[in-house]
Amino acid sequence: MTRWFEDIIIDEVHELGSHTFTEAEMIKFSKLYDNQYFHTDPDLAKHSHFEGVIASGWHTACIGHRYMVDFLFEVERQLLDAGERPGVSGPSPGINKMLFTTPVRDGDKVSYTMSITSKRKSGTMAGWGILIVEIVAKNQRNDLVYTQESAGFSKLRDYTPTLKQRLQEWAIQQPLLRKLMQRGK
Amino acid sequence: MSNPVTKNYAHFEDLFVGQEIDLGATKVTKDMIVEFAREFDPFPFHLDEKAANASLLGGLSASGWHTGALCLRKLIENFPSKLASAGGVGFTKLRWKRPVMVNDTIGGTVTISKMRRTKSNPQWGILTLQFDIKNQNDQSVMTMDLMNLVEVRNPSAPIEEQTQ
Repeated sequence: MTRWFEDIIIDEVHELGSHTFTEAEMIKFSKLYDNQYFHTDPDLAKHSHFEGVIASGWHTACIGHRYMVDFLFEVERQLLDAGERPGVSGPSPGINKMLFTTPVRDGDKVSYTMSITSKRKSGTMAGWGILIVEIVAKNQRNDLVYTQESAGFSKLRDYTPTLKQRLQEWAIQQPLLRKLMQRGK
Repeated sequence: MSNPVTKNYAHFEDLFVGQEIDLGATKVTKDMIVEFAREFDPFPFHLDEKAANASLLGGLSASGWHTGALCLRKLIENFPSKLASAGGVGFTKLRWKRPVMVNDTIGGTVTISKMRRTKSNPQWGILTLQFDIKNQNDQSVMTMDLMNLVEVRNPSAPIEEQTQ
């Protein structure tokens, strides 16, 4: 979230937007990354139990991720417009659980929502909090397409780094020093 | 209910726990990183070298979703005699352990860590595929457990249903 860790409200549901999947776009993605006949070949796909082309689950998740990124930028813009300093979201360490429940077909409109289900201060990264993020995707019939639980970092507003931490943050932004620090790891 | 497309592909009966699939090597170029990020993950540290150098990652790096997608592609390309897949179920424990930087070469193995069948769907088995992805310095960049359905050649064969 591009809100400060302290401002994030647990279980508040954010609408990320909807995406209508076309067969051409599904086939294009799958030919690159998930080249299985029920993702890429309309004729052969009829022989599968899906009885037609379905989107790669990875594709539906990547689109959901894109909508989340756009949402974060939008929140940031709103905070800036209101004259506030936006928070900082960090890289994600991973996805705890992803479950694909209903296939996505040509013309399906998938709506994505996001909520933060829990948050805590990081024990290892001073100045950062860890969020548990849930993304839910549903189609136009309200069938559950997938649920995803991931982890993400969010910066604390009420935190003053020590001199040592400020020096480290400065040093990692100097290319030569960074190389030395990374070699030492 | 035999499927003419998959009849010569690897079925549940052809696979074994512990089987390893080598994913070969993939060099991740700047163009690949930027093209994927523009479409799916347009954070500045995946798009712009200057912004990336100033970020904590210290340089332009691939979207984690991109790393996963490239590994998926290599698994499908390298699966011996192609997998008689009946679709993905999902995944757990996906960890992006270290960023994939411009011109890193990633590779690694996928191991079949678990195989089971269910009485509710005797025509499919469920594989757990353990991804262990490394860079050219043998550092782990990604791990994940992917669950995928695979066709059973003989669905009437007895099912030893394991308790989870």
